[in-house]
Amino acid sequence: MNLVNVNKVDGAVGLTMSRLEAWEKANGAAIFTEDMVLAGMLHGALALSKVAHARILGYEISAALALPGVKAVLTGDDFEPRYMGLVVKDETVLAKSKVRYIGEPVAAVAAVDAETARAAARLIEVIYEELPAVFTIEQAVAAHAPVLHEDFDSYFKIYDASTRRTPNELALSTLRRGDIVQGFAESDVILDQVYETSAQYHAYLEPAAALASVDGRGKVTVWSSTQSVFRTQANVHESLGIPMAKIRAVSPRVGGGFGGKSEAMVQPIAVALAMKTGRPVRIALSREEDMSAMRSRHPVRTRIRTGARRDGTFVARAIETWFDGGAYADDTAAVMNFALFFGTGPYRFDHVDLVGHAVYTNKLRAGAFRGFGNPQVTFASECQIDDLAAELGIDPVDLRLKNLVHAGDRWIGGQVVATSGLEECIEKVATASRWRDRAAKPVEAPDGKRRGLGIALTAHISGFLSTSAIVRLAEDGSVSLNTGAVDLGQGSDTALAQMCAAGLGLTVDAVNVVAADTDASPYNSGTNASRVTYMVGRAIGQATDVVREKMFKLAADMLECNLADLELRPGGFIGVEGTDHSVSFAQIAAKSIWFADGGGPVIGTGSVMHNEPLDPKHTLLAGFLSFDNVGALTFGAQVVDVEIDETTGKVDVVEAWCAHDVGRAINPGAVEGQIQGGFVQGLGYALTEEMVWDGGRLTNPSFKHYKIPSSLDVPYAIHAMIVEVADPLHPFGAKGIGEPPLIGAAAAIPNAIAAAAGARVRKLPVTPERMLRALRFGADGVDV
Amino acid sequence: MSTDRTTLSFHVNGDPQAVAIPIHRTLLEVLRDELALTGAKKGCNTGTCGACNVLVDDVMIRSCLRLAVSVAECKVTTVEGLARNGRPSVVQQAFLDAGAIQCGFCMTGMIVSASALLAQNPAPTRDEIRIAISGNLCRCSGYVKVVDAIELAASRFRQGNAAEAAAMEIRI
Amino acid sequence: MLYSRPASLDAALAVLGADAGARCLAGGATLVAGMNAGLPKPSQVVSLQDIPGLRGMIVEADGAVRIAAMTVHAAVAAESRLAGGLAVVREAALQIAHPAIRNMGTLGGSLADADPNADYPCALLAAGADIELAGPRGRRICPVDAFFLGRFTTALGAGEIIVGVKLPPSALEETSTYLKFSRVDGDYATVSVAVRVGWRDGACTAIRIALGSCGGTPIRVPSAERALVGTKLDVAALRIAAGAYVAACDPPSDFRGTADYRRMIIPGLLERAVRNALNADRGIRS
Repeated sequence: MNLVNVNKVDGAVGLTMSRLEAWEKANGAAIFTEDMVLAGMLHGALALSKVAHARILGYEISAALALPGVKAVLTGDDFEPRYMGLVVKDETVLAKSKVRYIGEPVAAVAAVDAETARAAARLIEVIYEELPAVFTIEQAVAAHAPVLHEDFDSYFKIYDASTRRTPNELALSTLRRGDIVQGFAESDVILDQVYETSAQYHAYLEPAAALASVDGRGKVTVWSSTQSVFRTQANVHESLGIPMAKIRAVSPRVGGGFGGKSEAMVQPIAVALAMKTGRPVRIALSREEDMSAMRSRHPVRTRIRTGARRDGTFVARAIETWFDGGAYADDTAAVMNFALFFGTGPYRFDHVDLVGHAVYTNKLRAGAFRGFGNPQVTFASECQIDDLAAELGIDPVDLRLKNLVHAGDRWIGGQVVATSGLEECIEKVATASRWRDRAAKPVEAPDGKRRGLGIALTAHISGFLSTSAIVRLAEDGSVSLNTGAVDLGQGSDTALAQMCAAGLGLTVDAVNVVAADTDASPYNSGTNASRVTYMVGRAIGQATDVVREKMFKLAADMLECNLADLELRPGGFIGVEGTDHSVSFAQIAAKSIWFADGGGPVIGTGSVMHNEPLDPKHTLLAGFLSFDNVGALTFGAQVVDVEIDETTGKVDVVEAWCAHDVGRAINPGAVEGQIQGGFVQGLGYALTEEMVWDGGRLTNPSFKHYKIPSSLDVPYAIHAMIVEVADPLHPFGAKGIGEPPLIGAAAAIPNAIAAAAGARVRKLPVTPERMLRALRFGADGVDV
Repeated sequence: MSTDRTTLSFHVNGDPQAVAIPIHRTLLEVLRDELALTGAKKGCNTGTCGACNVLVDDVMIRSCLRLAVSVAECKVTTVEGLARNGRPSVVQQAFLDAGAIQCGFCMTGMIVSASALLAQNPAPTRDEIRIAISGNLCRCSGYVKVVDAIELAASRFRQGNAAEAAAMEIRI
Repeated sequence: MLYSRPASLDAALAVLGADAGARCLAGGATLVAGMNAGLPKPSQVVSLQDIPGLRGMIVEADGAVRIAAMTVHAAVAAESRLAGGLAVVREAALQIAHPAIRNMGTLGGSLADADPNADYPCALLAAGADIELAGPRGRRICPVDAFFLGRFTTALGAGEIIVGVKLPPSALEETSTYLKFSRVDGDYATVSVAVRVGWRDGACTAIRIALGSCGGTPIRVPSAERALVGTKLDVAALRIAAGAYVAACDPPSDFRGTADYRRMIIPGLLERAVRNALNADRGIRS
């Protein structure tokens, strides 16, 4: 463990340090949204739909209004029909004229305290005309199925939805390369299997919350637990029709997001209540409400086929995948497209045919969740590759090595793989786990148990959409860093400060990280897609370059020398090489601000959009979001050791080795923490977590029934191994790490299980019951 | 016998407090809403997640499941009471140095659990540490660096001199 | 909602007798959780925390053990005096939920709640406890075999509370264990098996096996137990016993598994629990 005192750091990149805000988190001073109190603040509560699909005929709110302490009740009738959504604009602030899932917010109350607000919400009656509902993909696409979104064609969309075939499909996308028929004809072995995954709940420890306040000029400020202040602003603007100039979105500390808080839900409601009452309104969801009303990971059904030659060369890959998107589109089309984008994994296939369907059902909407469609498809792909290895009699590691993409190869869509540390990752985990030794001589399991090792490779991206940065020189020689990035707890404030400091030779405590604020910060699409270290880092690099350039010009003037003779010195100085003549950043700042020839305040900006256009000659696609702006491909490898109890079917992960190519670890300790945390969230996804619906009713919206791993459910050792192959576009070579560790776990664990058990479960989570049935009856794709 | 409101008198982090509250308030609500001690968090309100952990008479409990009136005359310690004169306790410092803290929402409860463990057992095994925090759910860290932090705190605590150790009492 | 803290058992019983809507507050884990979840508040909460004699454990001269009702799980879990045939009670306490709940939850509270998935009822059934009750008509003893009547239903009469549990002494030849199988640590049991067994000269002299989380209440099958006495508790004998337990139980299908699954795993878990009990003094567990 590298224990570092933040105040003594130089050359800040590559050093392990705890979060800048760690102390306030350790002593209870950190302010999260529900900790905030404003004078005159009211409390908001939601009334959630109890029916899955219905027309709203009317509301009975007089009893709620009459409750002492209630200041406002809002329903869908109080709003114009205005739609928000990142990919499809199909959502309104509250259900309007229709409800589409049990748990959908239909009304909202503001009252003097939370208890009164909730009591009032319970008194609201909604008069429904119930409609038949669809709860599964099969039901949703059946002929004459009830239609959730009759006006779908009129919704604004950022992709071509004309390819869809049935009214409840919201997207049908295809990616094709080569000739799949020929590819399978050339294959000596073809595997054809179906894999299923369940809905996972983000289970961030902090439930969703928002506090909205309106000032004397009608300007709204909304504090919320969010992954993007800019998406919050956009969602409020679109759903309520308020101009963005009148909306300021900020965030206090955020207690985790994992994708569930990228898009809004409570924020527009809080704003609406604040505007109605003229007082600040705070809404904090209960855990049960959060699980019932926010969003989940997509449950997915994938039919996957792989064709290979007898010598193990991969030839053809075909996928048809069905994403159950729930009642609103949210990020669904993008998530499904991402899954297709990673449908081949980090392997070379000449013939590729990938088809994705996304479907509306009358359940909680599914949206972004760490991995963004990739865990579902990597689970299918990595498991099938292991089965293929068994079929061909080739070691699973060797089969992968044989077919790996390398730097310089082209990905689906034609993007060139800039760098890849994947081979190094594989080598590290294979060596550390003693893979080859154990393949030759398996570890003996105690009586009544089985042991096995499994491997999975991950390919993902760091990137997505656009971002910017402003670096400003302050009068004392320190700098302000303003990127609009929200730190969800994954450590971005710290990593960004480290990069900015390193770019200017400063210590981290000379960097003032400005909190994300739509009033004051430059645009940042959000904290997701493993993008912040990579994308915002690139913008910071641009900005610090500009600041350095301007400071050097001023320094050359002040030191009366040529630019070429100057060098940047640690601690905030620029000096003449080979001498002790120098000027401090503070002196440069003073010159810039106070002197006629100073040129004005020193500011640098950066603005980045990752732009690698898809090559339609390389890949045919239809019904797809544009992937021009995806990001840098990021690879990893994981090996997992599991033990299975033959009596109960319970799977325990004994040990895990996770090697990830992060380009450059800005803060190695923080990278390790992300790998370990991501692995455990993936462990939950693979073994214990499943949202269960009975028709349209979510039956387990509680930590008592939906179980995430505790300290006793994880291995003693999760070895986080950092591989660094520098990315060419990033000032320090860094890429992201947020999502890959979860993707790896979700595939490596099932592979280890298959190796240990000699039987495969093709559905996640591999609960003890599913495992036991597979052990006893050799059943594949256990239907439980 | 009381009516449905009462005045609760108790000690919080060494300070006497008296608050007028409805009978059915939980200790978590009173700490957060009446005393602005927002370190304890409402993560689930069912006693499952551990983010609300506090000490009552040096015993670690779920403040979301404790009726506030039942702690009358008791000594309550929250995370805000662990530091002394702004200096981190041994446990808090170890959590910082081991890089255990990510989003932080679970960490106040986690630190209370760790402090209670070390007050009772200054030389815990890794197993005992994992059991002690088994009721604190964390979604960010995977628990690895949390266990590292508690081991670090334990070893530092044992290395500290006897007087300092005695002065640490439950705060650890 | 009213709140009272009676200073004596009689005072508490008087309050409970006078108000049918009053509820006892022991550890609070169940009562307050219910209130938080929006269940109707009781008309009155009667805290038992000040009543003398309701906490702690006493070992009587003949080796019988009396645990008072307000004793928290953590205290029972730390009781090394619960050994031999009584270790099952300590092991159950140790595995309830997680540490903070073990500091709050009480023996009396757990028994009165009679959650089919709870740990104490199953363990006490195997231990052969007597439940001590106090009510408007005085004190009485209810053997554990007659105490649990159904899901969340006990033999407690109106106005009665549990004041303690009495465990029969452990004979020298006895060992016991509580085996809890759950999906993740700290969860309720999917299936639990509690065993109290006597073993002398290579054969079983007495045995009580309780099966938990497999119906409205934990169950024993006395005929199966009797058939095991005198045997070597070998695999074949245990398999027959397990068959009887599978036939007698009425397991639910829920988040933790289907009824079918529970039936599938009962035999292996029963066997494992008996083995663990027999090996208990040698510190071997599987």
